[in-house]
Amino acid sequence: MARRIFFSLGICFLFAFSAVMSAQALSAETDATLTATLESEAAEAELRNRFRAIDEDVQDLKKEVLDLNRDLFLLEEDLLFPANSQVAFFISMDIGEYFELDSVNIKIDGKEVANYLYTEREVGALMRGGVQRVHMANLKTGDHELTAVFTGKGPHTRDYRRGATMIFNKGIGAKYLELEITDRVRKQQPEFVIKEWE
Amino acid sequence: MRCHSIVIALFMLVAAPVLSAQVADNGPEPIVVKSPHYGEVLFYFYQDDFVPAIVHLLAAQQQFQLDEHSQQAELLLGGLYLSYGHHLESAAIFERLLADNVAPDIRDRTWFFLAKIWHQRGYLLKAQTALDNISEMLPENLRQEARMLQAQIFIDGGQYNAAIALLQQWSGNTEWARYAQFNLGVALVRSGDVDAAASILDDLGKLNPYSEEMTSLRDKANLALGYSLLQDGQPLAAKEPLQRVRLEGPFSNKALLGMGWADAEIENYRRALVPWMELQGRDLLDSAVQESMLAIPYALAKLDSITQAADHYLNAIEAFYEETMRIDRTIAFIESGGYFEKFLDDNPLDSTGWYWRLEVLPDGPEARYLYHILATHEFQEGLKNYRDLSYLQRNLDDWQQSVEVYVNMLETRREAYFERLPRVEDALARADLEGLVDRKLEFDSLLNNVEQSNDWLALATVQEFRMWRAIAELANTPALAANIPEAVEVRDKIRLLKGVLQWRLERDFKDRLWRIRRNLRQTGEALVETQRSRRKIDDAMRKEPILFAKLSQRVYGLEPRIISMLNRVVDSMADQRMFLQAIAVGELQTQKQRLDIYTVQARFALAAIYDLAATAGEVSR
Repeated sequence: MARRIFFSLGICFLFAFSAVMSAQALSAETDATLTATLESEAAEAELRNRFRAIDEDVQDLKKEVLDLNRDLFLLEEDLLFPANSQVAFFISMDIGEYFELDSVNIKIDGKEVANYLYTEREVGALMRGGVQRVHMANLKTGDHELTAVFTGKGPHTRDYRRGATMIFNKGIGAKYLELEITDRVRKQQPEFVIKEWE
Repeated sequence: MRCHSIVIALFMLVAAPVLSAQVADNGPEPIVVKSPHYGEVLFYFYQDDFVPAIVHLLAAQQQFQLDEHSQQAELLLGGLYLSYGHHLESAAIFERLLADNVAPDIRDRTWFFLAKIWHQRGYLLKAQTALDNISEMLPENLRQEARMLQAQIFIDGGQYNAAIALLQQWSGNTEWARYAQFNLGVALVRSGDVDAAASILDDLGKLNPYSEEMTSLRDKANLALGYSLLQDGQPLAAKEPLQRVRLEGPFSNKALLGMGWADAEIENYRRALVPWMELQGRDLLDSAVQESMLAIPYALAKLDSITQAADHYLNAIEAFYEETMRIDRTIAFIESGGYFEKFLDDNPLDSTGWYWRLEVLPDGPEARYLYHILATHEFQEGLKNYRDLSYLQRNLDDWQQSVEVYVNMLETRREAYFERLPRVEDALARADLEGLVDRKLEFDSLLNNVEQSNDWLALATVQEFRMWRAIAELANTPALAANIPEAVEVRDKIRLLKGVLQWRLERDFKDRLWRIRRNLRQTGEALVETQRSRRKIDDAMRKEPILFAKLSQRVYGLEPRIISMLNRVVDSMADQRMFLQAIAVGELQTQKQRLDIYTVQARFALAAIYDLAATAGEVSR
């Protein structure tokens, strides 16, 4: 709301400042005050221009750094998880009224690869439609077993722990698997589904 | 309303254009995520982690992973840029997409927020263009703010008459109308039309406030009116509005000072001393309190209390001196560059972008001098940039370390590859795959012959074959050729044995043939798989050096980019810091100059008193 008033500080200062002199010669100072006002406006304009010049530079830099981040991110992925062996595991939540997610534990071929504890903010983002990449792995082509164990609060805020398992085949290209938490309305229970993205 | 909600609204509406009316009525519809990569961007976006969201989105776009969401993704990118304070890039996207794809009210709101950001950042022409793009679909509260913004842009561009004309059109009893009234009054004062301003400010000054904000506005109006009347030579008229200012509030000091001056103007110095003496106990940092330290002895001198006046002037000179010293120390500290590091101390990775705003200055002796520069756009926006740059610096530092690791990783991989290569090549050379294939084909042919000729003996086991040979040898024994009953009996037994064996071999022939064919087929499949693996190995051996070369090129190409970018970020941070420093030091210099002027005035007045005293002494002698 402070920005609704755009004169007050300056004018009060100018008036207050001129008041010292005003007891002696108030009217004689009017011209000086106006000059000061104009000088102050010129200084403001100068400040604004200077800021804009720096800001334009910052904007350019932001753009370039973001592009560089993109290139680095892609390089990192290509280097650490080449497409022919890459498998990405995602977590998503559809509605999520019957389950309040606390953590997820993921095993591939019986070996634990991820154990993730969720913050409130992350759960909120999942509930609003966000999808989290919880783990990336390099796997050989062929069949693999994925086991995911979800823990949290189930219906009536009772502790809840459920698992889901699937055998998936890793082909030549990258593979994306989504572990989805959905609500089974008829049973008023959460459901945990693993699906493959094409 | 935060710009964040606009960003959400924008892409929600694009995500489900058919449902847009419903969205407006019933809140956001869930988005159907058709690509995990798009969902991942949303995951970061919903947590206000704008940089990772932008980076994931840009990467997914580059890899064509967002084809199902291409338009939404582009609009979301615009929103993310806006949230991150990357307003020029954001505007470029909106200019491209807003015209056709978005509901008019959302489009208007987006232009409004862009206008606001551009005004805050001093892009007045762009802000004006954005305001011009707004149609009639802006909600009422934002429309009022947009009008105020327009008036502000007029003022900033020196178009006072246009601003006055716009503000004069304001009607109603809303808070915005009150602010417009105040700004109009002050604009009129500035343009020299004190009478017109007085009536407007007087009206506002008598407002019955219903909130702290309105009370504060009323105080400001009364203060502005009081001082403008004082300046206009109407001290008696000035007293009424000044008396309406609250005694304990942010404007009370200036009001008390003005009250004193109003009485002093009509030469009622005794009465003037009352508000000024009240100021004595207040914070010396306030310019009104500083001024009162001169005003009091001025009044005392006028009342012929010369000794008291001299004491007060001496106290004032001492106090101003100490304050000036403190300001000098603060200026030196700020100029040393350390001050602005404090603004980065609480800079978590996610607190970048346009929403961030500094509410309180970091603790320290500087804060008391600088608190009101917080209200300026240039300082706030400069700080945002400074923090954003600091974020970029840390981001690039992290990447630089990662790239060093990647270089090592790549080199290690390359060494391991070339170390293993001769062993692999040797093993491959020893493996006679073609010979194996030929042998398999020979077997196929042999088996076909066996089948065609119904050669059941060919499929006998080693044991059976031995037996068959033994029987044949027995049958050819010369002794058995004799025509005696014993020989006949043995010949019959041999015939029986041979018959049994032949019967078994013929019986098992098809089964054996099938099994052998199956084994041969499996061998063939294994051979095909082996050939495929061999092709893969050959392919990998051909491609791997090319892949290494490409990755090396990327890794080594990115490193100098990071370094050059880091240097630019550091330079830009220095520029931004210098800019902020200049604002802060400029503010302190202003305060110091004021103290210097007061000191000169105090010294001058004191000298005049001493002169007067000396002259009086000489006369009495």
